[in-house]
Amino acid sequence: MSATAGRLGLSAAVLAVLIYLIFPVIVVVAISFSSGNFLVFPPPGFSLRWYESIAGDPEWVNALWVTLKVGSLSALIAVLLGVPAAFALVRHVIPAKALLSALILCALVTPPIVTALSTYLFFVPLGLVNTVVGLACAHAVSGMPFVVINTSASLRSADINLERAAVIHGAHPLWAVLRITLPIISPGIVIGAIFAFVHSAHELLVATFVLGGVGKPVAVKIWSGVQATSDPTIAAASAILIGLAIFTFASAAATQSLAKRRTA
Amino acid sequence: MTALAEPRAAPLLRPALSSRGRMLPALLLLLPCLAWITFFFLAPLVLMCWRSLASEGFSLEPYGVLFTSPLFTKVMITTVRTAAITTVFALLLAYPLAYALTVSGGKVRALILVFTLIPYWVDIIVRSFSWLILLGDNGMVNKALMALGIVSAPLQMLYNPFSVLLAMVQILLPLTTVTLFGAMLRIDRTLITAAKIHGASEWHAFRTVFFPLSLPGVYGAGLLVFVLALGFYVTPALLGSPRETMIAQTIMVEASQLLDWPQASAAGAVLLIITTSIAAIYNRYFSLDRLWGGSDK
Amino acid sequence: MTEFAAAAMASGAQLRLRQLTKAFGASQAVDRISLDVPAGAFVSLLGPSGSGKTTTLNLIAGFLTPDAGDILLDERSIADVPPHKRNIGMVFQSYSLFPHMTVAENVGFPLRMRTRLSRQAARQRIDEMLALVQLGHLGTRYPRQLSGGQQQRVAMARALVSHPRLLLMDEPLGALDKKLREQMQVEIKRIHRSVGTTVIYVTHDQTEALTMSDLVVVMHQARVSQVGTPRVLYEAPANLFVADFLGDSNLLTATIAHVSGDELAVEIGNGEKIRAARGTSAAAQGSRTVVLIRPEDISLTATDERTAGQDVVAGTIKDISYHGDTFKLDVALGADMLKVKVPRERGAGMERGQKVFLTWNSSVVRLLPAADRTSDASGEDER
Repeated sequence: MSATAGRLGLSAAVLAVLIYLIFPVIVVVAISFSSGNFLVFPPPGFSLRWYESIAGDPEWVNALWVTLKVGSLSALIAVLLGVPAAFALVRHVIPAKALLSALILCALVTPPIVTALSTYLFFVPLGLVNTVVGLACAHAVSGMPFVVINTSASLRSADINLERAAVIHGAHPLWAVLRITLPIISPGIVIGAIFAFVHSAHELLVATFVLGGVGKPVAVKIWSGVQATSDPTIAAASAILIGLAIFTFASAAATQSLAKRRTA
Repeated sequence: MTALAEPRAAPLLRPALSSRGRMLPALLLLLPCLAWITFFFLAPLVLMCWRSLASEGFSLEPYGVLFTSPLFTKVMITTVRTAAITTVFALLLAYPLAYALTVSGGKVRALILVFTLIPYWVDIIVRSFSWLILLGDNGMVNKALMALGIVSAPLQMLYNPFSVLLAMVQILLPLTTVTLFGAMLRIDRTLITAAKIHGASEWHAFRTVFFPLSLPGVYGAGLLVFVLALGFYVTPALLGSPRETMIAQTIMVEASQLLDWPQASAAGAVLLIITTSIAAIYNRYFSLDRLWGGSDK
Repeated sequence: MTEFAAAAMASGAQLRLRQLTKAFGASQAVDRISLDVPAGAFVSLLGPSGSGKTTTLNLIAGFLTPDAGDILLDERSIADVPPHKRNIGMVFQSYSLFPHMTVAENVGFPLRMRTRLSRQAARQRIDEMLALVQLGHLGTRYPRQLSGGQQQRVAMARALVSHPRLLLMDEPLGALDKKLREQMQVEIKRIHRSVGTTVIYVTHDQTEALTMSDLVVVMHQARVSQVGTPRVLYEAPANLFVADFLGDSNLLTATIAHVSGDELAVEIGNGEKIRAARGTSAAAQGSRTVVLIRPEDISLTATDERTAGQDVVAGTIKDISYHGDTFKLDVALGADMLKVKVPRERGAGMERGQKVFLTWNSSVVRLLPAADRTSDASGEDER
């Protein structure tokens, strides 16, 4: 097989796969602007009626509000606990380090239904069911790996000598960490926090068990909607979540390039 | 060199700092994180396993039901089969994508990466839902097929293994690709150049040098995808018929509708053991944190 | 200027390492290192990577805690003192200037951390330091706007601004190209002479160590191989490793043939006997030894022009290479191969395959211990 034929074949395959990946996203976004009543693609016409209907519906607005609260709180907890953990894993010598880091990453490979069921059984006697705080605490567990992974990556590529230069010339080690290293790794922390937030916003099963009743978040509302109605309101709600995701992704990328420019 | 007088009082040899003292700051940093995970993650899992055994006194009955009931057995087989097929196809599609990422230069690579990752940021419900629209009787695919005259009546593409697999592969593709990409980056590209200089064609160099070296990455990504696929809930629920039911759906029904907590817990425990074992096997050979760029310690 | 002049007089601390030991898991990074550094000296830690020199530096700085042993600064143990209280200056290979601070702020950093100088006094010190490193006009720039050489000079100014009595330098010129490196070597020496602080300089470049240092500590496999002035190390190496590491060398296995008073004769591979100076190893007739002759000490002639008192051996040229100012030849001597370095006019007529006569002064023939082991500075081989 000649080299160019191979390259052409590869490009074709890549293009096909990318279309396969992206197309459904485009479909949902397009439908949310549909003027028609049924979920048809391509949509018959352009209209913002579904977005208006969501904006006017107190249940949807409330759901968005809950998602925001739970997401921010769980991301915050994940950062407060995950950043020190990342420091410990990257900078210090600890026994059984592989085991400990596997423990932290455990939550990512555990089936969500198992997490949801066990969390519910655990929360009932604690009275944490139907509370925003409860769900946030549970989501923080699965948000932590994102923070730890991204912070660790940032830490590893940061120049430790910068911190050492500060310390040897008189700065207290804690001062050096807070004022020298932390600003340098903040893009990694921010990205980890964003991933944790988005993960919480998308999470369905734990949210269904813990907060599936009156104050439910967007993901739960979309799921019950998807199984019931078939009008594009669902598409609009999904498009909002997509928009949120793209917005956070873009701000993450912007944070990174901003930081790069500062320390170049 | 001038000889210097020995210091009088200072001891010549210091005893080493106790190893516990040196580790203290590290443990303090880790403690909050580990405590949280223990309380909000491990303890509930233990509780769930406990509940699977004891409702009215200690009993292994729920487990017995799991292994003898035809319903559960069928669901487990379906789950494993679906996960396995998903893994194979995800790897097949992700490999060229990851390879393209590896050999591309800066701008092209960034572009492909963005396109690969955007779907990841869309939640699973939405992505599964979009297939519902595309594959329906009135959906775009059927319309296109009929317009082209390939079929005369709409194909039943929904509520069967086809739609479930199509959606699951698409959902897991970004993660598979990025994981494979990470592994491929670690392969020394100069080895391929060396092979080509010594007469290997592009294809030959790939087949004999690059591909074998990428296999550990393939195994790693495959294990990860398989584990994740096992636990899928939304996609089979939305796009599959009752015949495509996967274990997560069954547990959900047991818990939320039948309120049979011991039974649900038992099924959950079994699923947990399966995924933990696979993850442990992976960890033994590859170490979990390698997946996300951890150091090779 | 008076405060600065007075500070220059304050000079450097005396540094002592006592049986310093550090291991990482199963590998021994530093193995019972003892060293006495005189006040104000410029001392290089020289060795290949993995020899333990950077670990030793990090132990002196306090970034690592020793498993055993002690570090004494001006006769006071600092092993328990945390690094930010040791009052040491340090320069890193990657400069490690704080990117979000200006040059002046970088240089003033130790003053902010360690002293309570008024703004004005601090300003004056910073200006003095910048003048010392000849960067007086660049105070308001940011590190990323400076070249590599300039950044390293800022790093030096920062390290010296609070007049530390000890300055640590971790391969500071490793990131610079050859020309710049040579310029900076001169700069660093000049600054050292002005300030007078004690300097510990880690490098793997032997030319750098030889040209800059008062004392060189050659390190090999976590231990000290030899300590001495550059001349002593080059002209009188104590063991095989040092002889081979510094400069080009010819190392021939030989047997001691004859001992009488100060004169020694050894028998080399092709059976010939040559005279040698009494070296660092105990000489007993019949014992095995290694003969060191530096390539530049060998004279090469086409004809046998031997004079009394000189050893001459005959050999065949196997290879010649031209190095601008010199020719380097490989001359076969029976089973041995000798490297010879001759000035350009000498080598110009030589050809491969030509039979030549090698001669040298017997005082340059040194004997080394036959076994390849490093000895610690106290000279366990000396009797």
